Amino acid sequence: MNAPVSLKSLSEADLMKLEREIARQHIDKFPYFAVAWAFANLAVWLSLWPLVFTGVLPLWAGFLIASFNVAACYLPSHEAQHDIIARPGTKLRWLNQLVGHLSTIPLVLPYRVARLTHLEHHAHANDPALDPDHSTHASGPLQAIWKSIQNRQPGAKGGEASYGETLQRIGRQEVMLDAAIYSLVFYGTLFGLAWSGHAIEAALLWWLPRHVGMTYIQYYLSWAPHHPATDKGRYRDTRSFRSIFGNICSMGMQYHIVHHLHPRIPLYRTPKAYWQMRDILEARGCRLEGL
Amino acid sequence: MFVFLGLIFRFGPLLFGLGFIAPLTAQVIERAGWSLPYAITPLMAGLGIGGVLGLAAQLRGRWI
Repeated sequence: MNAPVSLKSLSEADLMKLEREIARQHIDKFPYFAVAWAFANLAVWLSLWPLVFTGVLPLWAGFLIASFNVAACYLPSHEAQHDIIARPGTKLRWLNQLVGHLSTIPLVLPYRVARLTHLEHHAHANDPALDPDHSTHASGPLQAIWKSIQNRQPGAKGGEASYGETLQRIGRQEVMLDAAIYSLVFYGTLFGLAWSGHAIEAALLWWLPRHVGMTYIQYYLSWAPHHPATDKGRYRDTRSFRSIFGNICSMGMQYHIVHHLHPRIPLYRTPKAYWQMRDILEARGCRLEGL
Repeated sequence: MFVFLGLIFRFGPLLFGLGFIAPLTAQVIERAGWSLPYAITPLMAGLGIGGVLGLAAQLRGRWI
C-alpha cells in the first residue's frame, strides 16, 4: 500500500507534526500490564525452585516455565529503561526503578547496564562502532541464533563485551561493577547448588533457561526489528515486520519502528500507534515489511 | 579486591568446568544409573570431563 498522495505532498515539518500528535495520544499511559507482568513473572520463576525441589512440579515442566520466564523478563525492564512507568521526580518513580531492577534478575542483567547500553543503542542504532547491540546482526534467522550463541562465548567481542566497551566509552565504567556482582552471585549460586547435589536442577531452572531466553530476546528484540541493520537514521534504522508467530510471541516487536521513533510509548500501545501512523511512515519511506 | 575479581573472571571457563560441569556430569551419571569402568567414581568422571572442557574453553576462548 502506498501513502496517500495528500501525505506525500506534506512538508517535513507537517509530517512531523502529524506524527507527534499521534504519539502524544499514547505517551504517559500507565502500563499496568507491564508492572503486573514484572512481579508475576519473577514470582513464578522464584516459586519454581521450591516446587521442583519438593517434587510438586516435575523438573521438565520447571525447565519449560523457567525458559518462558527468562524470555519474558526483559520487556518490563525495557519499559522502566525508558521511564514509561514513571518519569524522574514523579510520585511513582520508585516503582519504575523497582521494576527495572527486579524484572531482569532471572536474566542476570543489571538494570543500570541494561538502561545505559540500551539508550546508546537508540542513539546509534545500526552503527557498527557505536551500537552496543550491533553484534547480534546476522544474514538470516538461523545465523542470528548462532550469532547470539557465539556472542556468549568467553572470548567473544560482541554481547556483554560490547556492553563493557560502551560503558567505558560513555564514561560509566563504574556500572561494570554491577555486572561483576550479578555474575558472581549467579555463578556462586550455580556452583553452590551443584556441589550440594542440585546441579541438574540448577542447570534446568536457571543456567539453560537463561541461554534459551537470551537467544529468544536477542532474536526478537535485537535482530528481527533491525535486520539487515545496514541503514542508519530515524526512519531507516528499524522496520516493521510480520512474524509467523504473531505479535505476542514475537514480544510485540512487529511494531518496533514505533518504539524507536517514540520510545516513551508503552509497548502495549505500539500496535495502535503504528496503524495510526502507518501512512505517515509510508510517506517517510520507512521499511514497512508485510505489515 | 579488583585483582581478585579479575582473576576469577580471567579463569571463568576453567572455574565453570570444575565448579559446575563437574558436579553436573557426576549427578547426571548417578541419576542415569550408568556404571563406569576401572572403579572410576561419577565425581572423578565429572572432574575429568569438566576440567578438560573448561581448560579447552579457557585456551580456545569458546565453548562451541
